[in-house]
Amino acid sequence: MSHVLRALPDLMRVGVAGAVAYRAELVIWILTATLPLVMLAMWNAVALDGPVAGFDQDGLARYFVATLVIRQATSVWLVWEMNYEIRSGRLSTKLLRPLHPFWQYATSMLTVLPMRLVVLVPLVAALVWWRPTLLAWPGLTAVLLALASTALAWILTFLVQACFASLAFFLDKTDGLFGVWFGMWALLSGYVAPLATFPDWARPVVELLPFRGMLAVPVELLGGFLSPAEAMTDIALQLLWVGVFAVLTGAVWRRGIARYGAYGA
Amino acid sequence: MVRRGPGRAAQVAGGLLAASLATALQYRSDFWMEMLTGLSRSLLAFGPVWLVFSHRETVLGWSADDTVLVLGLYLLVHALLAGFVEPNLGAVVESIRAGTLDFVLLKPADAQLLVSVRRLAVGRLIDVPLALGVIAWALAQRELPSGSDVLVALVLLVSGLVAMYSLWLLAICTSFWFVRVDNLRFLLWSMVDAGRWPLPVFTPWVRWFLTVAVPIGVVTTFPALALRGEWDARLLGLGIAVGIAFAVGSRWAWRRSLAAYTSASS
Repeated sequence: MSHVLRALPDLMRVGVAGAVAYRAELVIWILTATLPLVMLAMWNAVALDGPVAGFDQDGLARYFVATLVIRQATSVWLVWEMNYEIRSGRLSTKLLRPLHPFWQYATSMLTVLPMRLVVLVPLVAALVWWRPTLLAWPGLTAVLLALASTALAWILTFLVQACFASLAFFLDKTDGLFGVWFGMWALLSGYVAPLATFPDWARPVVELLPFRGMLAVPVELLGGFLSPAEAMTDIALQLLWVGVFAVLTGAVWRRGIARYGAYGA
Repeated sequence: MVRRGPGRAAQVAGGLLAASLATALQYRSDFWMEMLTGLSRSLLAFGPVWLVFSHRETVLGWSADDTVLVLGLYLLVHALLAGFVEPNLGAVVESIRAGTLDFVLLKPADAQLLVSVRRLAVGRLIDVPLALGVIAWALAQRELPSGSDVLVALVLLVSGLVAMYSLWLLAICTSFWFVRVDNLRFLLWSMVDAGRWPLPVFTPWVRWFLTVAVPIGVVTTFPALALRGEWDARLLGLGIAVGIAFAVGSRWAWRRSLAAYTSASS
């Protein structure tokens, strides 16, 4: 662990330099994650004549603004990056360094996070200007829990992507396969609709799946739709899924790296 | 035999499409993967519609069936853009960066035609029959549209498709000057997502934006309105005008871009 901490400042400097060099690209990438706004438009029209599943128009606006923010705060693009590096052999460079590649990927992605959130500020400001009544303070405990839950959501997202990316050691390409997972995630993580809008028979199942812990838990905490007391079970579930994927991803990576034979290896 | 005019253009396009089909079929696992991704994407697109209409009978006068009709048109346009337009125009950006666009420009046929039909994402085109099925199902839920309604819907659809293709071409033209802005296309994709809902759910200025700037509304909501028999001369005129404006504008921009292109070898 200590050698990771020692390498951290340098890795972060590299990450920031990369983000600054491609800042125009970064802005475009962030603007591509605006699906919550399209969904907000529809749900806003649905709630015109009264609340839907407990959400009024202000609540929906708050929910989807929180979705927009948490989506950026948990953004990971490991599947695409690692797929490319495995196929092109560039992973070999990372393997030569005395630090597990996952740490190198993780720091490079985490250092860009603050910039991603700063770019969102004008977008969120515009939404607040459109509907000032969406603002509501969920309470300090909820915000602190939301921060912890966001960290867990990031780790879970990273581990899931690391798992799909490590499968690329066995299959040629896995970004297509991940596309299927991403589609399920979009529907079941609360990205396109609050999970409260699901029918009663589906909700218990949906809430047990890993998807909710990747987005909806921090979003609902931040929006004030989930009380800190209720959130404890959800955070415990997040921890459980982090554990499951840590074991699974570790196993896939170890088997895969033994087969890895790109040039330079 | 070398023909001239539109006949020759069709001949060139036919030959190129056959060649790109043959290329695409060589990468079979990629093909299956693309097909699987596309199918699951399309099926999951029904999720939000299902959720919305489990709470309401209609939204702003749009029933579930009408919304499914819009979604079907969205899936159709999405598949055509992903299958025909994106692979080709995406390749242009790469050619500009690598300098291989020169080889295209040297050929004795129109460069815009050549770069537009070189590649085909066959896996994505599987969504076309699926989308047509969805449209047919949605239409069967209500009184069948009259012949003139169908004709107007087709005109609007074609006009909108031309506009969307032209929009992609315009995005590509920017890469003659700024090589790294090719991910402008991803931005376009995210705006295309707005086409899965009927236009009236958006605030007025967004509605206009989705009609004249990123004209996805012209390809989804406009034909759906026509198929519901709710079109008038204004809607039809606006749809056609958008198509023509985009086609002329992008053609002009493409020529300007080629004139400014300095190639990799000069």
